[in-house]
Amino acid sequence: MSSLEAIVRELRKAARRALGARYAAHALVGAVAWVAAVMILVRLVPFERRAELAVLGIPVALAIAAAAWLIRRPSAALLMAMADIRLGLKERLSTAWERRAESGPLDDAQRHDAVQHAARASLPAAFPVRVNRGEATLVAILAIFALALALLPNPMDQVLAQRQADRVSQARAAKAVADAKKKIADSGKPSPKDAQIQKILQDAQAKIHEADSPRKALESITPAEQQLQKLADPGTPALQSSAQNLANALSGTAAGRSAAQAISTNPAKGAQSVRDLASQLQSLSPKDREELAKALAKASQQAQNSQMRDSLSKASSSLQSGDAASAAQALNDVASQLDSLQEQENTDQAVAAAINGLEAARQGLAAQADRDANGQGGQANAGASPSAGASGNGNGNGTGNGTGNGNGNGTGNGTGTGGTGGTGGTGSNGSGTGSGSGAASTERIYVPGQPVPGQSENDPTPLGPGQDVPLSPYTQVIEAYQQAALDATDQSLIPGSERDLVREYFSQLGEPRAAK
Amino acid sequence: MIAEEPRVDATRVTELAQSLETELARLIVGQKALLRDTVIALTAGGHVLLEGVPGLGKTVLVRSLGQTLSMSFSRIQFTPDLMPADIVGTNIIGDTDGRREFHYQAGPIFANLVLADEINRATPKTQSALLEAMQERTVTVGTQTRPLPSPFFVLATQNPIELEGTYPLPEAQLDRFFFKILVPFPSEGDLLEIARRTTGDSTPQLKSVADAGAILTAQRTAREVPIAEHVLRYAARLVSATHPDRSELDSVRRYVRWGASPRGLQTLVLAGKVRALLEGRYNVAFDDLNSVAQPALRHRIFLQFEAEADGITADRIISEILEHTAKEPASK
Repeated sequence: MSSLEAIVRELRKAARRALGARYAAHALVGAVAWVAAVMILVRLVPFERRAELAVLGIPVALAIAAAAWLIRRPSAALLMAMADIRLGLKERLSTAWERRAESGPLDDAQRHDAVQHAARASLPAAFPVRVNRGEATLVAILAIFALALALLPNPMDQVLAQRQADRVSQARAAKAVADAKKKIADSGKPSPKDAQIQKILQDAQAKIHEADSPRKALESITPAEQQLQKLADPGTPALQSSAQNLANALSGTAAGRSAAQAISTNPAKGAQSVRDLASQLQSLSPKDREELAKALAKASQQAQNSQMRDSLSKASSSLQSGDAASAAQALNDVASQLDSLQEQENTDQAVAAAINGLEAARQGLAAQADRDANGQGGQANAGASPSAGASGNGNGNGTGNGTGNGNGNGTGNGTGTGGTGGTGGTGSNGSGTGSGSGAASTERIYVPGQPVPGQSENDPTPLGPGQDVPLSPYTQVIEAYQQAALDATDQSLIPGSERDLVREYFSQLGEPRAAK
Repeated sequence: MIAEEPRVDATRVTELAQSLETELARLIVGQKALLRDTVIALTAGGHVLLEGVPGLGKTVLVRSLGQTLSMSFSRIQFTPDLMPADIVGTNIIGDTDGRREFHYQAGPIFANLVLADEINRATPKTQSALLEAMQERTVTVGTQTRPLPSPFFVLATQNPIELEGTYPLPEAQLDRFFFKILVPFPSEGDLLEIARRTTGDSTPQLKSVADAGAILTAQRTAREVPIAEHVLRYAARLVSATHPDRSELDSVRRYVRWGASPRGLQTLVLAGKVRALLEGRYNVAFDDLNSVAQPALRHRIFLQFEAEADGITADRIISEILEHTAKEPASK
């Protein structure tokens, strides 16, 4: 019995060695096959971490082989039977092992015979450590195949480059929006709607970041811009115009000159100055009062804001009637409206800054989307810098009061709104004196980074102090937009059947002006 | 003397078989396989059907076997007019102390070694009488059943040609033969040796190397030879593979009408055990089974007519089965 067990131990040791070598060879085959499979896969499916994936298979294959080697323990009966066959022992060992506990008439003799024959045989030879020639050949073929696949150009590289460019583009766009958020937060001119603006930008940034492609990301910008535009107060231009008219009117009076200057500088300062003026009414000379009443009456006549007009009218009439207290009360109302104007301007500036950021994001995304459509994703890094939009040429945010707005400035009303308009190229002092009533014929439009026709692209207009987004009248930019749109129609992803429709739409945009 | 040896002394069996083969080889030239298979069948206690053309020494073999074993020997020449009573004996009227009464006259079957020469020339009725005695090892005449001597070993011969006027043995009766041994025509060298040995002024005289007791002891010892489970399963697979409804071999499914019976498996294993002893081994090996598969199974596989038309023999079918049956190692 003990001899048989010794035989089993020796066979088991030899079998473990042979199995170890065999499983190592299996692992090698598995690892190389995995690498080859990955090399094939990455030619069919774009996969970025191909090297990691390919390398991953090697330890996995080794681990599986090692686990199998550890788990698999051939039974003693199997070892004996294998040794019988491989050593030509004529089933002596397997019979002896199977009947090791039997005590038949011939069992002892049989066991003795088996042990004797085993002693003469080289038991480890039953389980030789050898490399399977087929496996070695397979490894060599797979290795050459995998190497060739790794070295040959991969058509998926372009797809991966495009994806990378898409991500970069989206990240830049998201950063542009984040920059806009930061700019609004750091502006020092808080507005009541800052929280809403930040929320809209936050959502847009998240959507841009999470979008599957630049094209998808683009789809989130327009709704955000529409939401932002709803936050802007449509009455601001009228109030601004009224305030400016007031400043103009007061500038011609001795008592109101300082208030006029303050109003022109800043509505908030103007409000404080008007309050100061109201408190000084009692001490004014009759001549100054009369002069002031006339100026207020003139400003009242020019005011487009009804509240402002009423307050100015009341102040004027009270002064003329000698009721200084009522006049002071009316001027305080005017001051309150100037405070309100300051808040509206702050909101508009925040909205403009936000839209400016979104437009910067849109430019980068649109450029990348076009490159994707043209199969040039790999050139994404050459795309427009997101800051390009942010640094816009500043076409001014003039209110376009009247038809006589200065060229490109649009601040109108004599002194212009250099401080707020930022209409580079035409100076900070609007020279226009237009006081026409055509305010309604112009439209505020944000034109970040888009030069006014005739203005050099390489000569960006500097923004005024605290100015984020310059505004230009619709009529001044429509031609440029129309042309840009028509050019883009030929280059963008517009189906042929729809292209004429789009072209017709943009062509019609210019017609009203042409008709004029 | 050998019969008194301990029954587990397997070396005695090996020596007995070797001495028997050696002694027979003095007279039988070549035909080593024939001698080996005959000794195996004898040691296993089975009967043998020898098939070969006339003049190949079948009768000489049986007669020589009788001489070397010191056992009673009978030869029955089967002819169409041979009757069962001519084999098993009959009751005859005789005088006993003045009285006439029936006495049983034993037939030639009452011998240790019986040569049934040209067994296929007798009628089925007569064949059945012999085959019943082979299976039961008893003879019933009238109302009395008498046991045959032990050991009882029948060697039947039949001629594969000259089939005119013969009665081929039916399948059920063929199954009762332990082995069917084909006696091949001697090689040219063997023919020369036969001529030298048998045409001189003297022929070799065989000596007895064993008696009935030794044979019986050998038969019991052979049954004690252990066989491993996976070797036994291999034997079962071999037999199972001869059946057209179980075999995966196209040739078996196409040409075989009936496969070997369980008696074929018994024969295979028992013959394997004897062969293992004769090889000086105490366990049955795959080789033992393969070696005895042809004589053990060839008369138990019944072929379709299509096989005969295509020249397919049972031996060829068995060879294919041996070639394709897996020797699965032990699983536990």
